[in-house]
Amino acid sequence: MTEPFLSIRDLRKTFGSFVAVHDVTIDIPKGEFLTFLGPSGSGKSTTLYAIAGFQHPTSGDVLLEGRSLLSVPSHKRNIGMVFQRYTLFQHLTVAENVAFPLRVRRRPDAEVKRKVAEMLSLVRLESFGGRYPGALSGGQQQRVALARALAYDPPILLMDEPLSALDKKLREEIQAEIRRIHRETGVTILYVTHDQDEALHLSDRIALFRDGRIEQIGTGEDLYLRPASEFVASFIGNSNFLPAEHLETVNGSATIRLADGSVVSGVRIDQDFSHGQKTRLMVRPEAFRLRPGPATAGLAVDFIDTAFFGERRRVIARTAAGQEIDVRPTSDVAQAHEGSASRRQIFFDPAAAFLFPA
Amino acid sequence: MSGNLLYRQPILRRPDGVGGALPALTLITLFFVVPVVALLLRSVTEPVPGLQNYAILFGDGTYARVFFNTFLVATVVTAVTVIVAFPVAWMLAIMPPALGSIVFGIIILSMWTNLLTRTYAWMVLLQRTGVINRTLMDIGLISEPLPLINNLTGVTIGMVYIMLPFMILPLVGTLRAIDPMTLRAAALCGASPFDAFRRILLPLSLPGIAAGGLMVFVMSLGYFVTPTLLGGTSNMMLAAMIAQMIQSLLNWGLGSAAAFILLLVTMALYALQLRLVGAKRMTGGI
Repeated sequence: MTEPFLSIRDLRKTFGSFVAVHDVTIDIPKGEFLTFLGPSGSGKSTTLYAIAGFQHPTSGDVLLEGRSLLSVPSHKRNIGMVFQRYTLFQHLTVAENVAFPLRVRRRPDAEVKRKVAEMLSLVRLESFGGRYPGALSGGQQQRVALARALAYDPPILLMDEPLSALDKKLREEIQAEIRRIHRETGVTILYVTHDQDEALHLSDRIALFRDGRIEQIGTGEDLYLRPASEFVASFIGNSNFLPAEHLETVNGSATIRLADGSVVSGVRIDQDFSHGQKTRLMVRPEAFRLRPGPATAGLAVDFIDTAFFGERRRVIARTAAGQEIDVRPTSDVAQAHEGSASRRQIFFDPAAAFLFPA
Repeated sequence: MSGNLLYRQPILRRPDGVGGALPALTLITLFFVVPVVALLLRSVTEPVPGLQNYAILFGDGTYARVFFNTFLVATVVTAVTVIVAFPVAWMLAIMPPALGSIVFGIIILSMWTNLLTRTYAWMVLLQRTGVINRTLMDIGLISEPLPLINNLTGVTIGMVYIMLPFMILPLVGTLRAIDPMTLRAAALCGASPFDAFRRILLPLSLPGIAAGGLMVFVMSLGYFVTPTLLGGTSNMMLAAMIAQMIQSLLNWGLGSAAAFILLLVTMALYALQLRLVGAKRMTGGI
């Protein structure tokens, strides 16, 4: 079996009695864009810092091409990093900032000059070389930070919430830049964020962290369409959780009874439930339809509030059991006049819903 | 209407500000500006009108040695103070605030303790049969007492100790403004701790070093008590020489000329500092 490019093995970090990272193991192939997603305090940044060498793990190992990085100090790890705050050297010009990693490596002047020009053109700041960081916008500063981190062709680029200090428009612009740069350089990127949209937009794979453990790792599609737990389902995308009682399972297809007494069959599950067990059925807001389809289940609701959002409409509805749910059916002309009716049936495909233990 | 009120406020305040400052301004004018002018006049009128006092000061080898010694002591003291203060300031800058305020308290407390007391304490510690020499001889590190007093070593030790807070305080301000993450970024860029210090931390802390350094240098130039008590007669500094000229020799003309030269140098350095700070502001407040 071939050695994975970067391997995190049983990584554990404790601060006193608090376990920040709980035996995390991940293998990362060369060139992958992997995102550590999770709420704050879930251990994603601590894991990244262990790779950067800012924090020594309590146990476990970090291997790059089979060799442990733990005994290597930060400045010899040859890893690039972009930080949450702007960490440019304020007393140096943009060009000198990008040149810094090459200067400390005592590279010849001609190479430094060529590489700085190449990097500034990569982040599209060719004409900014002579400016000081203080004269740049936040987005430009993070692009310079990106150029500085890539100037010495590091095999790995770490990014610790690099866009969190920027406004929404700038964030989207730089996300596109990061995707392009990943495509053009082929560098392996480990990216930390608490923003699910950012994670879905950028990553090849997402590792969803919770309380120091990886709850699920997979592509954005995996996490969205096949969430391994209620936490994953609620963290990625929007979701409604309907209380339900499990009745029976035949061939991985479950039959359940919802709180209003209606029975739904054909729910796909990948864990075992006992008869009568309390469960929660997760249905995505956009999985609801206003018209029945083949094999759909119906749900009686009152529409409380309807808003039109172009391709979708957003409805706040209340179930017969009194629970408010989020419904986002697609808009189409035929349904336009039905929008305001109050007591009605809405429909969903049980095979696209998920059952989790309550 | 409300706009009018807002505009009026500063106008109403301005005369109050001048009124409140008047007593202090009068005091400074009467007891600083007037005597300084009188000093200047004395230096060019006593014993006879002319620049002969300045000619003597610049022409005589003895006086030249005092000037040289004064600048030497001030330079050495400033350099040593910067080196000793930097690690303390850095520690204070990155310390948790609660712990930092305790250390700050200790430093401020040392400033409030009587200067003469602290200098006499150094005499006790540094003299031939003092605590330091005794201890070193007792543990067998030296066989003869080290000459720690009545020389440049003694003056440097005593003055660095007194000047430390004046260096630490401005330096902490500058260092606190530096994001520690910047140093982590430097490390990941491949900078060894020494490189990160030399290429990043030191240049970024230069404004603080300049501010503290000039303050210490200027204060050292005119220092009297500590150099007199710890330096001995062969290492006379300018302030002690002026005192001797006026008190013992009653040569007011020569003493005034020396004092005026000291004042000019001090003001020149102050102007330099203003220029440096001004230039820093223009480059974007580093």
